[in-house]
Amino acid sequence: MIRPEEIKMSEEETGKWGMVINQDLCTGCQACVAACAMENNISFVGEVDSGYGRSMHWIRIERFWEGEYPEVKMTPQQPMLCQQCGHANCEPVCPAYATVHSQAEKLNLQVYNRCVGTRYCANNCPYQVRAFNWRDYKRPEPLPNQLNPDVTVRRMGVMEKCTFCIQRIHKAQDVAKSEGREVYDGEFTTACAQACPANAIVFGRVDHPESLVSQLARKGHGIKHLEELGTYPQITYFKEG
Amino acid sequence: MSEQFSRRDFLKLAGVGAATTAILTGCGPASRYVKREPYQQMPEYNSVGQSTYYATTCRECAAGCGLVVRTYQGRALKVEGNASHPLNLGKTCARGQATLQGLYNPNRIQGPIKHVRGDRLYDSFSNPFLDDINNAPANMTWDEAIQVVADALKNYKPNEIAFLMGMAPDHLFDLVTDLAKATGMNAPLRFGALSMFEARATLSKAVENLFGQPGLPFFDVGAAQTVFSFGANFLETWLSPVSYTRGFAGLREAETKMRGKFVQFETRMSSTGAKADHWVPLRPGTEGLVALAIGKLVSEMRGGAIPRAFSGVNPAEAAETAGVELVALENLAGMFATSNVLAIPGGAALGQSNGLEIAEAILALNALSDNFGQPGGVYLSPLAPDQTEYSRPASAEEMRTFVEKMAGGAIKVLFVHGVNPVFELPKSLGFEVALTSVEQVISFATFPDDTATGADYVFPDHHSFESWGYQRIATGTSQPVLSGAQPVVTPFFDTRSTADVLIAAAGLAGGKFASALPFADEVEFLQAKVGALLSQAGGSFDAPDAATFMAYFQQYGGWFRNADARITPDGSGVLNSNLSGSVAEFSGEGEFFLVPFVSPTLAEAGANKPWLQELPDPTTTVMWNTWIEINPETAHELGIENDDVVKVVSELGEVQAYAYLYPAIRPDAVAIPFGQGHKAYGRYAESRGANPADLLAAHFNKAGDLAFGGMKVKLEKVSSAERGVGLSRMESRMGVYGESMGEEH
Amino acid sequence: MIKKFFDWLKQPLGLIAAGIVFLAVFSAFAYWLYTTQQAPAQPVPGFPHKTHVAFGIQCLYCHPGASKGPAAGIPSQSKCWGCHNQIVKTRDSALLAPLKDAVLNGESLVWVPVAIVPDFVQFNHRAHIAAGKNCEDCHGDVSQMGIYQNPQVFNMGWCLNCHVETAGEDQELLIKLSDCGTCHY
Repeated sequence: MIRPEEIKMSEEETGKWGMVINQDLCTGCQACVAACAMENNISFVGEVDSGYGRSMHWIRIERFWEGEYPEVKMTPQQPMLCQQCGHANCEPVCPAYATVHSQAEKLNLQVYNRCVGTRYCANNCPYQVRAFNWRDYKRPEPLPNQLNPDVTVRRMGVMEKCTFCIQRIHKAQDVAKSEGREVYDGEFTTACAQACPANAIVFGRVDHPESLVSQLARKGHGIKHLEELGTYPQITYFKEG
Repeated sequence: MSEQFSRRDFLKLAGVGAATTAILTGCGPASRYVKREPYQQMPEYNSVGQSTYYATTCRECAAGCGLVVRTYQGRALKVEGNASHPLNLGKTCARGQATLQGLYNPNRIQGPIKHVRGDRLYDSFSNPFLDDINNAPANMTWDEAIQVVADALKNYKPNEIAFLMGMAPDHLFDLVTDLAKATGMNAPLRFGALSMFEARATLSKAVENLFGQPGLPFFDVGAAQTVFSFGANFLETWLSPVSYTRGFAGLREAETKMRGKFVQFETRMSSTGAKADHWVPLRPGTEGLVALAIGKLVSEMRGGAIPRAFSGVNPAEAAETAGVELVALENLAGMFATSNVLAIPGGAALGQSNGLEIAEAILALNALSDNFGQPGGVYLSPLAPDQTEYSRPASAEEMRTFVEKMAGGAIKVLFVHGVNPVFELPKSLGFEVALTSVEQVISFATFPDDTATGADYVFPDHHSFESWGYQRIATGTSQPVLSGAQPVVTPFFDTRSTADVLIAAAGLAGGKFASALPFADEVEFLQAKVGALLSQAGGSFDAPDAATFMAYFQQYGGWFRNADARITPDGSGVLNSNLSGSVAEFSGEGEFFLVPFVSPTLAEAGANKPWLQELPDPTTTVMWNTWIEINPETAHELGIENDDVVKVVSELGEVQAYAYLYPAIRPDAVAIPFGQGHKAYGRYAESRGANPADLLAAHFNKAGDLAFGGMKVKLEKVSSAERGVGLSRMESRMGVYGESMGEEH
Repeated sequence: MIKKFFDWLKQPLGLIAAGIVFLAVFSAFAYWLYTTQQAPAQPVPGFPHKTHVAFGIQCLYCHPGASKGPAAGIPSQSKCWGCHNQIVKTRDSALLAPLKDAVLNGESLVWVPVAIVPDFVQFNHRAHIAAGKNCEDCHGDVSQMGIYQNPQVFNMGWCLNCHVETAGEDQELLIKLSDCGTCHY
């Protein structure tokens, strides 16, 4: 019998799930941010804590200013979420093995019950996409009625981040398996991609060359953010055109 | 016990004890037990542990996107777009996503309430995260409530009774219209802050003047080559944002065609303007002049005679007035001359004293592209399947007439549904004061909003996810669509559908009232209305009988005619029309133009949803508050820094908020988002930020829309920023300037 | 002050007093610990699973969700009453009064599930049944139970043992079944 710990993991492993984000289409409308919060039971933290940078968006739209009035320009809106790195900076620094790489789904996992809240992972994440529960942000009644039962409700002292809607991945796989088939491309998608009115976010299997996301990723001049750090991110960005 | 039991040891022991307790409690199963309440009776089409999905229509704005709501064990869990709905094709905006936070809002009205005007409808609170709020309890039964409505209908003359309604839902508007027609009551008036800031009345009036036929224009952004938008925030809240965002994606699509270009003219860079290839800052009220100037320059470049419409303008003077370089206009005209341009007049441009002239001038530009009724051009939106003529919400001027009637005592009973005029109308129109002159005010508000606080009775309607109904799609799709709504969950509180209340009350009132609404309940009324479509051919589905038709109508989320029914406007006379580049008039003494704009994430009714509050504004990334946008150069001259408290003073009032040094606003303008500043409306909205509508004077353009852009204001610094106090911004986490994020972190 | 107190504690009387306090605290703690380990009260006292099994009713008749999705589910009271209403003996039984009252008054029977995993574990019945597991493999011999009790603690070691055994030499399956993300998200 093979024990789980005997399985060797190669650092350069290709991913399984990935995204293509077209910044030229992104209008910064925040629909993805809201959809993500509703799907993943993300707490709102209020004005004071969000002022301290403690808001827990798993996805945020970045935008920067260039130039000065009247030649001022906003850089293309950039949805920034966990890049599900193939070789993630957050993983080796966790003393509790709470942020580990999923061998099966090739995702960076955050195992809430293991997390002890050292925040090393967030400090080591070059994309700054991890959010920490600084308090128990309670939802007053009856707001908890909207909580998604497929996603753990996190408590104080736990790190959290984008999971690529792993609950949807599992559900789709479960349905496909019960019907004796493979999950087909586009059968399901993440909450952000499903909401996006401009279709700027496309999600799918990057290890299937014929999937929509792979086809899009191959064309043109897509970039992967901070690829030079050797993180092997799974999200390809297209800036203009 | 040791000789030396030091304090340190004691603390250690106590610590170990506490840790053990914590660990053991965590492990005990009792700490994890939860109660589970199974269905008393499993509803149809439900199965244990499986989600059920219901199609309905979004009511967060009047656009009417189709939704599919995931429900599980009787609770609504997630909103998704309805993929087969022609308006939004499965997509949603942030406000639609957050609808659930309205459904399960901690400050919903719990039942029918007899209420002392001005009294709070919920206790003030200490901590927004705790359950320490007491909502005003229901203090009457629904039977009593219906009797109150019936008495109000019966005891007053019909012309003393008025209904003020929101932009959604349409079925209730139809019901009240039927009731009013049959009984001689005042016809219901519909209003919404969005329609005011969109300047819908101006838009349809301009269309009527140019094309001889009123209607809501449909701009085919998706198929356009180039878009010139004059202050249209079509990616935010304008008309039908989800549909227009899809159009924008089509414009930018570069696989099968050239990537379309986009130029935005406005005073302050909106989040729509931020997507433009060229952003052209203009002095407010000069958009029409610039449009005419571009028209003239294009005609000159193309050669031949200058059309009459553009002949009266001097481009150099226009550029001077608008505060742009003539070269810039010439470059844009050059771009125009070589491609097909779609020119869009938006609310920010039309909310001026000369708004109607501006709208006409901008629409006339399209004649140069000859794109009327062409792909990528201007159409008129199709009428909904059951509609025979275009109708629009009330303009601000019509609202003022109504308010004057209220103040004069001509209206003795006022029913309010789906709109919050105390908050949404500028204070200068005096709605709040006039409300005190109305003998009886009955609010059907779902939330304890600013207007419900001034009512005698609050008879809460269901939340949209608990309601039946339909909504006509006013614009945004080429097909005529009647979008269907059905309850996705059973009512959470002791609320009752306003349609049911009115039907029951009309029955009690008897006479004309009873015969006007001969229905048992709302559903029967809907079946009568929707069933009329059964005879129409060419729809998205057919049904053998009315009951089946109604079932399909709910299941598919509406009925859509399959044909492209957009109307081609008659633009033959446009180039020969008489257009003037008239100059806008401004009221007020100050040196700054005031630019009020609708918050893209909150809009007029989103402030009570905590996650909408926590969404960063797309341009400034500010959360949970109001800010005042000032050009950094101006701020520097006035000694204003980020997060200083500043005051904007108009002749009517003042608004105080934190300063935000906004790099993309004209130095002679200040901008304030609309959406915050509620005096009631629940714990997340109340006393948060400020409402720029307080600054606006009751000035109107020729179409009756409010000239909200025609204010000059003063800017004063109140106090310097204090450490740790100020705006919550997302950008403080990710940086403000820079080429790519890597450099900023 | 504190020194005086500790000096007093070192007296024989002090030691006895300290001992009594310790015992009192310890027994209170033990009692509280004991209460955390008790089965919760259920709305129908003494609900006999064994009787239902003895009548040949399949698990999935009342808990049909197990074959379709994550939650096995608790039957709605109309389902309970559908049978019990037909049986003279149970229709008017004092033991079933809570059910009858709930049905007649339109109130809910509120159960407290005991076969539970913590919030941070996402368990799916369907996958386990599809993999050939039977109900009794995890839930024990319900035909001998009144109110259901877990035959063992549902902890991670117990789950994982079975997962690893099931995978056997199949490395791909082992990866899937031992992945943190399979249950925790």
